[in-house]
Amino acid sequence: MKDKLKKLEATALPAIDKAKTPQQLQELSVKYLGRKGELTAILRTLKDLPADKKPEAGQLSNKTKQALEAAFSKKEQELSTAAVDQELKKDFFDTTLPGKTPPQGHIHPLSQLQEEIEQIFSKMGFAIMDGPEVEAEYYNFEGLNIPKDHPARDMQDTFFIDKEDHKKFGRLVLRTHTSPVQVRTMEKYGAPLRIIVPGRTFRYEATDASHDTTFYQVEGLLIDKDISLAHLKGVMAEMLGAVFGKPVTVRFRPGYFPFVEPGLEVDFSCLLCDGKGCKVCKGLGWVEFMGAGMVHENVLKAGGIDSKEYQGWAFGFGLTRLAMMRHKITDIRLLSNGDTRFINQF
Amino acid sequence: MFVSLNWIKDFVDLPAKTKPQELADALTIKTAEVEGVLDQAKNFENIVTGQVVSLNPHPNADKLKIAQTSIGKETVQIVCGGENLKEGMYVAVAKIGAKVRWHGEGDLVTMEKAKIRGEESYGMICASNEIGLDNPEEGPRDIADLSALKPQPGTPLAQLLKKDDFILEFDNKTLTNRPDLWGHYGIAREVAAISGGKFTEHAPQVRMPEKGQKVDVRVENHDLCPRYCGLIIEGITVEQSPDWMKERLRATGHGTHNNIVDITNYIMTELGQPMHAFDQKNIEGGIVVRTAKKGEKITTLDGKDHNLKEDMLVIADHKRPVAVAGVMGGENSEINEKTTTIILEAANFNAASVRRTSTTLGIRTDSVQRFEKSLDPFLPLLAMQRAAQLVLELCPNAKITGPITDIKKFNEKPLVLSLDIKKAKSKIGVDIADKEIEKILKALDFKVETHPEIWKVTVPSHRSSKDVTIEDDLVEEIVRIYGYDNIPAILPSLPTKLPLENAERFKKHRVRELLSYSLGFSEAYNYSFYGEKDLKNCLMKETGHIKLLNYLSEDQTHLRTTLIPNILKNTQENLKYAPELRLYEIGRSYKEIGEFMPLEEKLISGVIAKKGRTDNPFYEAKGVVEAYLKKFNISANQAPEVENTPYAHPIKCLSYLAKNGETLAKIFMIHPQVSKNYDLDKYSVALFEINFTQAQKFEEEQAKYQETPRFPSIELDISVLIPRNTENATLKDAINKANTHLIQSIQLFDIYQGENIGPDKKAMAYKVTLQAKDRTLTDEEMTQVQQKIFKNLEALGGEIRGK
Repeated sequence: MKDKLKKLEATALPAIDKAKTPQQLQELSVKYLGRKGELTAILRTLKDLPADKKPEAGQLSNKTKQALEAAFSKKEQELSTAAVDQELKKDFFDTTLPGKTPPQGHIHPLSQLQEEIEQIFSKMGFAIMDGPEVEAEYYNFEGLNIPKDHPARDMQDTFFIDKEDHKKFGRLVLRTHTSPVQVRTMEKYGAPLRIIVPGRTFRYEATDASHDTTFYQVEGLLIDKDISLAHLKGVMAEMLGAVFGKPVTVRFRPGYFPFVEPGLEVDFSCLLCDGKGCKVCKGLGWVEFMGAGMVHENVLKAGGIDSKEYQGWAFGFGLTRLAMMRHKITDIRLLSNGDTRFINQF
Repeated sequence: MFVSLNWIKDFVDLPAKTKPQELADALTIKTAEVEGVLDQAKNFENIVTGQVVSLNPHPNADKLKIAQTSIGKETVQIVCGGENLKEGMYVAVAKIGAKVRWHGEGDLVTMEKAKIRGEESYGMICASNEIGLDNPEEGPRDIADLSALKPQPGTPLAQLLKKDDFILEFDNKTLTNRPDLWGHYGIAREVAAISGGKFTEHAPQVRMPEKGQKVDVRVENHDLCPRYCGLIIEGITVEQSPDWMKERLRATGHGTHNNIVDITNYIMTELGQPMHAFDQKNIEGGIVVRTAKKGEKITTLDGKDHNLKEDMLVIADHKRPVAVAGVMGGENSEINEKTTTIILEAANFNAASVRRTSTTLGIRTDSVQRFEKSLDPFLPLLAMQRAAQLVLELCPNAKITGPITDIKKFNEKPLVLSLDIKKAKSKIGVDIADKEIEKILKALDFKVETHPEIWKVTVPSHRSSKDVTIEDDLVEEIVRIYGYDNIPAILPSLPTKLPLENAERFKKHRVRELLSYSLGFSEAYNYSFYGEKDLKNCLMKETGHIKLLNYLSEDQTHLRTTLIPNILKNTQENLKYAPELRLYEIGRSYKEIGEFMPLEEKLISGVIAKKGRTDNPFYEAKGVVEAYLKKFNISANQAPEVENTPYAHPIKCLSYLAKNGETLAKIFMIHPQVSKNYDLDKYSVALFEINFTQAQKFEEEQAKYQETPRFPSIELDISVLIPRNTENATLKDAINKANTHLIQSIQLFDIYQGENIGPDKKAMAYKVTLQAKDRTLTDEEMTQVQQKIFKNLEALGGEIRGK
């Protein structure tokens, strides 16, 4: 019996190894391990052996069975892998076909920038405030230390509403800047105060590529006990650095706005030429950016804040202008004509 | 405003090595913006004096000559056509590289070596107008004759003509709050403070007679005229001004007229104090400063007639107005070549009044530009002395007839301000030394009395007339001269409390993300206005609208109460090049509600437009509104109608109402008439309007977790043939009633209409999901529910398909 098993192994194992297809392997499996298979036949003779030989013979035949089964399993794996490989070789797949995206809309570039600015200032502890766009003359002018005959009223060509005056608040206007929210917020919350006001503003002036009746501003106001111009420089450098994604130098120049004293013009280093002077900055190395200054005592007074105790600064910059600079938009009117060929670029 | 550096140097000793551009930069940073620096010599580069050594005719041209010209070390051949050209004549030679203007016309041309009719020419002998000079005596074919000056050949022309000045151009806008800077004297004071150079006070030496004829002046309105100085000078010869004066006036952008008018302009440019000169023989009786009388008229120097209003201040004689105070003189008393006696005026007028008059009359002059800034009332007297000095200098026979008439009524007491020195430093953010602060203020002509905490600072009159009136104005003086560039950039420490939250702003951005990034819409920004044509096109009425008093165009006359008209315009435009559109806007509406302040609400409105006839856009819009309501947990009831929406289709419309009946959202197809008005007939257009302001008030709490089902669900597909006018909601309701406990969801998955089922019918197919919380459902239970559903649907006239 021992010999029979050895002989079987000697013929079966090479045969299995030579099998080329799963069918051949199947046939061999039937031939050796099937119910009528050669090994099965040998195993059947086990029961006829004397009792003392049975254990050894049993062990031997089991070993052969395991050897055959292992060989089958290994070959099966081999053939299966080969078959898959074969199949893969035949396959063709074009990775260069276009990708498929569900329909995508676009958020207007002004909204995108506005949210970024809001987040930057939020991180610095500023609250976001709102105010009416149809505003009373009082909040738009007098409350901001711009009395009736003030030349600054000319510079801010104003849309007036066809409506009767209010005894205290004057006429209704479309706000010419976001500054009226300064006094409104002071009245409502008092000091200390740390806010920005992004919003829509209006000027009664002829439109061209760089002027429009409607544009967006961001007002800022920081009032506390020891707020200085150094803080204004710090906050502006931080904000501009975040918007443009690289360090920006901020420069102050004297400027005149009735609602601040000292008043400032704030420039930033031209990002195109790094301050060396180019076409964009008209060779100056600086880009005019906004007006700012320490809040005038009359404005604090209008807001009900004691200027002996509190001090602070305010600024106002053009969000529209910043968006135009950032995206190199050459005509301001593109921002409000609803043309998706423009909007969908952002 | 143009400022001459040489003129500035009359009053301040500038360090010799001061570079004009550096001074301009310093002024920009510390005072006011200098937009440019013009180097006068630049125009004369490569232009030198020459002397004609020999002159020969040109062999090929009758009108040209060949001049061998010495230009210092060398002698060059130049072809020239000048009629007055002579041997030995001194001339101006534009060498190769010089920039000239041919015959004084067109653009500047750079000289190159040239052959003119076959003869070589190394440059050009210039006419005055070719190099920016002005000589009225020069004939049209003459060249400039410098023989009178006998200059060394080769001398740079700029040097010979003293074109060595630098002109600074200030941005006038940055000078609006500084009345003291509208003349060279004031700028010089500023330059002295910035550069540390010594400033020389102006003290013209003129001997004024103590007696004699003086101007008879009556000031009727001291509020509008706080000071009026007048002086009579006789023996005047009106003629051209000397070159030095013309030169300075031209360099600073003024025209030249005659010596008297030029003197008044010179004073204005030097001191910032406008002056006026009257011909005395045309002044009847004396000067009266008063407001205009009803119906009074004047013809101003520019020849224009004006009707004067009663609030306008005029300078009059005893009969008629002779000038509009501070604005412009009258033609009737103008200086002319026959004038022999003049009345000089140097006055101080109320800024607002001058400004108002100027605006009303539409006259803008250098004088207005200065008076409207609130000039120093001490300045007229100085100006008058300086003017007298110049008149005497320019007209040797002139004689002052008597003392200066000086009528004044203003507060002459200087302004003294307290300066809390510690607070000033805390506002600047730098601990500047007390000594330095004191030095800065003194350099600017302030008087300083130092104390440990609160200083006393006396403001000079040229600053207290306008821009230095409060303590913070002193802070500005200190910080700007100290240097804004010396302030460090520091972040303020964070507050201990979180900032107030603006939930609305935050949500607006989330809405944008939902609409743009999840639902495929693009965001438009439109103007807040529209016009009557839009109202008409949208079938809207004017009621409830706020109108603009002044507007720029007919399509921007009314403030919008809805975003739809502008969105429809966007739709019309976009569909010219895009096959379909999904667009929205978030913006405010403005409504008249009978109170002073109008109602401003934030709206989210959008459009879905597709080619052809289909109601799909309506249902897509409905999906958008529902996605919005779901995202923000807003529960609302549907109502199959829309209010106050004339541009909506009367049947294809739907509202979402809050519990209290407030409309939160509307969805509708466009009204067919409106569709025509916007050329959208070929499209199916659905619109939605969400009242963002209102909807926020009905947001509910965040969703609570519900246990996921543990037992399997069963799905039933039910298709029913039903009369066409049966609503989906009715059918769903009937299905649901079959077993409200077990039915978890009812989903419509198909609607079919076709000839084979008849025109009045439609087939609706639903997927109904059954599930119990506590057990697996049996077949029997399922069949029971199914039978009940069938029954309920049949009760509505339905016929179950495949039953």
